[in-house]
Amino acid sequence: MRRETQNVLLVLLGGALCKIAYNGSFLRYVKPSLLPFLICAGVVILSLGLISIGRDVRAGRTVTDHHDHAGRSTWLLVLPVLAIFLVAPPALGADTVSRSARAVAPKQPALALPPLPAGPAPALRMSDFVTRAVWDDADSLHGRQVRLVGFVVHGAQDSTYLGRLVMACCAADVTSVKVRLEGYRGLAVLPQDGWFEVQGQVIPGSAKSNTRFTPTLTVSALHPVPVPTEPYEF
Amino acid sequence: MAAPSRARAIEQRRITSLEVLCVVLVLALLAQGPLIRMLDIPAVRTGATVFVAICVQATPFLVLGVLVSGLIAAFVSPLALRRVLPRTTTAAVPIAGLAGMALPGCECASVPVSRRLMQQGVPPAAALAFLLAAPAVNPVVLVATAVAFPGEPRMVAARFLGSMATALVMGWLWARLGRPEWIAQRALRRPERPPGRSAFAVFTETARHDMVSSGGFLVLGGLTAAVLNVLVPASWMASLTGNMVLGILVMALLAVVLALCSEADAFVAASLTAVPLLPRLVFLVVGPAVDVKLVALQTGAFGRRFASRFAPATFMVAIACGSLAGVLVLGATR
Repeated sequence: MRRETQNVLLVLLGGALCKIAYNGSFLRYVKPSLLPFLICAGVVILSLGLISIGRDVRAGRTVTDHHDHAGRSTWLLVLPVLAIFLVAPPALGADTVSRSARAVAPKQPALALPPLPAGPAPALRMSDFVTRAVWDDADSLHGRQVRLVGFVVHGAQDSTYLGRLVMACCAADVTSVKVRLEGYRGLAVLPQDGWFEVQGQVIPGSAKSNTRFTPTLTVSALHPVPVPTEPYEF
Repeated sequence: MAAPSRARAIEQRRITSLEVLCVVLVLALLAQGPLIRMLDIPAVRTGATVFVAICVQATPFLVLGVLVSGLIAAFVSPLALRRVLPRTTTAAVPIAGLAGMALPGCECASVPVSRRLMQQGVPPAAALAFLLAAPAVNPVVLVATAVAFPGEPRMVAARFLGSMATALVMGWLWARLGRPEWIAQRALRRPERPPGRSAFAVFTETARHDMVSSGGFLVLGGLTAAVLNVLVPASWMASLTGNMVLGILVMALLAVVLALCSEADAFVAASLTAVPLLPRLVFLVVGPAVDVKLVALQTGAFGRRFASRFAPATFMVAIACGSLAGVLVLGATR
């Protein structure tokens, strides 16, 4: 591959990183705290490309050997550039939840869980809700309405779940949490991967090993919400 | 005068990679609709997101690596490096392993740096020990491990021991059995420094060259990991509660195919609560030493002949060292 082509690719790649950092879509792929590193990386790659373009232009025709034998592998850099600029893959969703059969109990919290926030129906993170449903000895969820935000996952035997993915670092390492939804008309026809805020009450004792630690929620209300800017929990 | 002008005429007539790139970009723009429609298949969509995620996550660390590599090329003379390192290779290996603690990055950063060290005259055995140690024993990774396993502080010590042992054993093995011709010649050739070129020019040119030559392999690794991420059945995990030996092997293989960043793998290991601690430790020791993304990067940096020998050997040694460290530090096979 010629040197000019490599430089153009570097500019495109750096530009792609800067773009997703600028418009916030990087949150579909990595955790928020990577932002400064992402900007630095984008700017550095962009400048490496621009600096050597500038150097070649200044050197003009005296540069005779434009061939830099880095091999054909460099062509692969086109793939992430195209993926980001043209396709912009969405955040992971229902497919990942159905794919992961990791039916393990959430980690037991080291400290006793604090009581639920006051108010008629406090909003909880999905992962906190499942942890409470599995582990909370004080039974803080008992008799309480809660609000959860997640996407719809249709499972086997007409079961409908609200799912969410928990990220450690990037989308390659997500683990899934899900809550089974019941007792509301039209659950089966909700759009797969559609985002909803669901209000309801947990069925006590529903998150045991025989249900693969998936609590069941008796739904009292639900309405669609826009995709959150941070689609993952951390 | 006739010959050069004819050569130039041929040069002008030939289609160069720049034109090919333009055609590729235009075709991709035209095919944007079908490309996006392909994402209607859920598995393809998941794979595409994981692919972009791995590339986006790893690029900052690769950039850190090529910058450090460029700095070494521009400002650290081979003579200075030789003075710092012990004269015998056997003694240089552990020093290089400990030096790995100073590079706060993941495995993508250490490949270009260790290749640059080789070019600057560091013995390959020591550079390889650095390559294996750096992504696993640096403070960022150890702190991440401690955070991920709040109830198990011994996990940090066990990981440090297992990874360091892997790096040292592989370094010494290379010193004893490794052949220089396994490493591609282009990897060891020092880029000639034209007279009168400033240190800044050397720095940017080296970094640019490293970025271009290893970036493609990072993408290849990301692609492989994304495909495997979608294809490997999650039921693998379910089979892990019973047999300890099977558990260790499956977790080691999983570390290779998932290709997680060494700063993130501890969180994944911590979430696999059904698996005993020892296989999870092996997962943490194998992952930063050998995974599909890393093998792709090593193939790019050191050549196919090197990677086809080094990666399987590292895999075995890492399983052995990880298991041993686990038994020693964590006690019985819980």
